[in-house]
Parts: sequence; structure tokens; C-alpha cells
Amino acid sequence: MTDTMVLFLRRVGAYGLFFVDCMRSSWRHGVRWQRVMEQAESLGVRAFPVLAIMAIFVGTNLAIQGFGAFRSLGAQHLLGMFVALAGVREVCPLLAGTMVAAKGGTEMTAQLAVMRTKEQIDALEVMAVDPRAELVTPSLLAILIVLPALTIIGIALSIFSALVVAVLQLHVDVGQFVAFCFEYIEMRDLVAALVKSLAFGAVIATVSGYFGFFSERGPAGVGRATNRAVVVMCIVCVCINFILSAVFYG
Amino acid sequence: MAEELDPRASSQRDLDSLRTLKQAIDSVRARKAPGTDESMVQFRGVHKAFGEHVVLDDFNIDLKKGQTSVIIGPSGAGKSVFLKLLVGLMEPDKGQILVDGVDVTRANETQLFALRKRIGMMFQDGALFDSLTVGENVAFPLQRHTNKRPGEIQDLVAGRLEQVGLPGIEDRMPSEISGGMRKRVSFARAIIMEPEIVLFDEPNSGLDPMMSDEIDALIRRMKAELGITFVVISHDIVGTFRVADSISMLYNGQLVAHGRPGELLNAPQDIVRSFLARNIALPKQKGEPT
Repeated sequence: MTDTMVLFLRRVGAYGLFFVDCMRSSWRHGVRWQRVMEQAESLGVRAFPVLAIMAIFVGTNLAIQGFGAFRSLGAQHLLGMFVALAGVREVCPLLAGTMVAAKGGTEMTAQLAVMRTKEQIDALEVMAVDPRAELVTPSLLAILIVLPALTIIGIALSIFSALVVAVLQLHVDVGQFVAFCFEYIEMRDLVAALVKSLAFGAVIATVSGYFGFFSERGPAGVGRATNRAVVVMCIVCVCINFILSAVFYG
Repeated sequence: MAEELDPRASSQRDLDSLRTLKQAIDSVRARKAPGTDESMVQFRGVHKAFGEHVVLDDFNIDLKKGQTSVIIGPSGAGKSVFLKLLVGLMEPDKGQILVDGVDVTRANETQLFALRKRIGMMFQDGALFDSLTVGENVAFPLQRHTNKRPGEIQDLVAGRLEQVGLPGIEDRMPSEISGGMRKRVSFARAIIMEPEIVLFDEPNSGLDPMMSDEIDALIRRMKAELGITFVVISHDIVGTFRVADSISMLYNGQLVAHGRPGELLNAPQDIVRSFLARNIALPKQKGEPT
């Protein structure tokens, strides 16, 4: 048990140092903005379709579940409020984060792990190029640009799909849905959603970067690194979501 | 006839001959010797262990400038660790590593990067970037560290690829070329910045004998053309005797033999003789090494 705790603390410490090294490297060697924009575009384009599908069906299910719960209380008109608050405050930021972790995060870990295995990271260092500034920082910045945008898109799509289901299937009044939806969303909710998405983005990029960068060599090492990165990203994002929800709404 | 008998003319001819002879001697003296006594790489009391596994133990070596120094030894002897320590990819537990006077163990990041710009390295499997074309791979160090114009870089890349015997493959992807070609492209990338020292990590590993011969010939030719320091890590004895000016053998984390190829063949240590005899049986039959 003590050994496990020591190992855990060592890894947390190593991750912290890696994060600091990434920041320092970017400061010293500058940021390659062209690469950042290329990665942002690529990540956004690849993550958008999956996110859109997920957000649409999350919205439809929120409408169905919310309608069932509120109807038993005779408060179906509050459906718009429920969908908006659940979507904006909790579901959509986490959903967008999960999608980016699944698409961009795992890809980044696997790519870095393969580069480690094929000695390409060593080759960068021997060519006097800092691999953290070259490989990790552009991905971090790309995710920080893309994730808030995807979160906002996810919120819009989930509310719209909930509206469609509420009106066409559940026969809720469209005016009531829209009015309650926008009456209860405050600027604070949007700020919280964006802060969460930025925090998730930082976690996804650095955790996936850390596990890829320090992966063991060989195919098994690549697999293990990717697997660990996904597990850690999900756990840390859920914990951060709780902490930020407590800070904003607790 | 009269001229031949003229003592003044005869002494003038002797003088001219002497002058010609002196010029020839000066020219030979001026020609760059294959290596100097100046050290390029020095390991002093270097110790490196991974947990309880000691890889290098009080390791000392001195590799000369302008020579092709080959480090041989069985797998797991610490050859690759030696290379990684040399370029600062790993830190020793103790000891000092000097590369052309720069202490790698004490250098800060700026000093280390400045030193690495003077080093080229050919990796075991090439270590070419999969997402870049061959041309972009070779151009990579120039794009990062120089202000050369794209056209100039293109010309230099084409020149280096031609030098390693691969003209016109700039637009191909690393996945589209063979293992031997990847190594040669890696070599072209290693020398594109005109480094003072080039490191080779197992240049013959994974290659068929013909491709191995080609790589050895390339190393010899490049050494003759560039006249710089080459450090080769290898366990291919045939190739080693073809390219080496000096050979060092690593065993159990220590330097067990160091000298010119001929000297190593007569080394008193059993392990050296046994290692070499096992591997050089074939070239001996063919009259190698010389």
C-alpha cells in the first residue's frame, strides 16, 4: 500500500514537472502558431461530427427524461429550464471534454508513444529541437482553442434537439420552452462552462502528452500508455468537474 | 650535350629536383592525417545504472578528432547508453563527459543545444518523421536552425541525398522506402548541418549483407569526403573492420580493449579474442581484415 502511494505521488510529481517543463520550453523556444492552427483545425474537424451526434442525442434524452419527471409534478413548462441548466452547467462541457479526450487525447498519446518507440523524440533532441515545445505545446494550445468552441456548439445542439423533441414528440409549447430555457441561463453558467472546458483541455493535453512522452517502448508500451492516459484523463476531468461545480454553484 | 656538360646547368637541375621533392614532401605533410591526437570525446569515470543493473562502471574512453571510432560489444554491454550519454539524452550517475571540450554533464540547456547543433546522428531505424516527406525530413534541421531560403534548402537537400546515393526521392514518404534507404536518408539528415561529429547507432542492424556493405562503403566515402569525426556503435565485426580507425570494446560496462583494428586482433583478453573470432571468421577467409 505504501509502495503504491509512493509510486502514485512520484507520478503526480513527474506529471507536475512535465507540465512546468512544457510551459518553460514554450516560453524559451516560442510557440509555432502555424502548427497550433493546423492541429486546432484538424482536431475540430475530426471531433465535431461525433460531438454533434452525441450532443443531439443527449439533448433528446434530457427532454424525454425531464418531461417524465416534471409531468408527474405537473410542471412540464419547466422542461426548457431543466434542459438548459443540465446541458450548460454539467453535461455539455463534460461531453465535449470526453470527445476531445477520445479523439485528440488518445491520438496524441499514441503518436508520442510511437515517436518515442521509433526514437523520433530522441532525434528531435539530438537536432537541438525541444520536443515539448515542438510536439506537446501546439497540441495543448490547439485543444484550448477547440474545446471551448466545441462546448458552445454542443450546448446549442443539445438545446435545439431537446426543443425539437419537446415540441414535436412531447407537445410542449415552443414559446414556454424557449422562455424558460433562456430565463434560467445566466452569464455565470456560460463562464463556468468555458472555465470547465479550458480546465479539461489543459488536463487532456498534458496528461495525454505525459503518458505518450514517457511511454515504454514497443507496441505494448504504446497500448499501455494510451490506455492509462484515457483512464487518468476521464478520472481527473470528472474530479475537476466536481470541484468547479462546487466553486461556481456550491 | 653541351648543356649536359655544363656544371652550372647540372647543379640547377639538381636544385630544381630538390625543390620539387621538397614541395612533394610539404604537400604530403600538409595533407590532413586520418585523425589527430586531439580528443573529441572523453568519458572520465562515468557510472550509469538503472536500478541495480549497472550499465557503465567507472568507464573511461578517449576518442580522437577526425577518426572513425567504433565501439563494439555484445548486446546489453552499454553501447547505446554510451551514445545517449554522449549527446546528453541521459545523465550519468557520476563522472564527466567531454565532447570537444564541452562538459555535457554540466552544460545547461543552451550550451547543450549549441553542442548538439555540431553533432549529427544516424539512428538505428532512421528515426525519420513519419508525417514528413524524405525531403522535409532532411531539411528539418536547416529549417529550424538557419535562415536559409527555401530554394537554397531544397538545393542542399538534393545535394545531400545525391551524396548518399538517393537522388530525387525528396517527395517520397519514409513508409515508401526500404530500411537501408531510411538509414541513408537519416545519414543525409545527420550531415545536412555540416556537423563536426557524426554518431551512428548500429548502422548495419537489420540489413542484408549487400545493403550492409553499401552502408559501410558510404561511411568510408563520407569520411573521406567530409574528414570529420565519426563514432559508430556496432556489433557487426565485418563492418567494424571496414570502417574503423580505432576500435573500443565494451563488456560488462567497462572498456576491455581499445586500439587500432590490427592491435585489437592481437588483444590479450580472452573475451576480446573470442568476440572477434566468432564474428570475423568470414572476412578472415576472404583475406579481411587487412
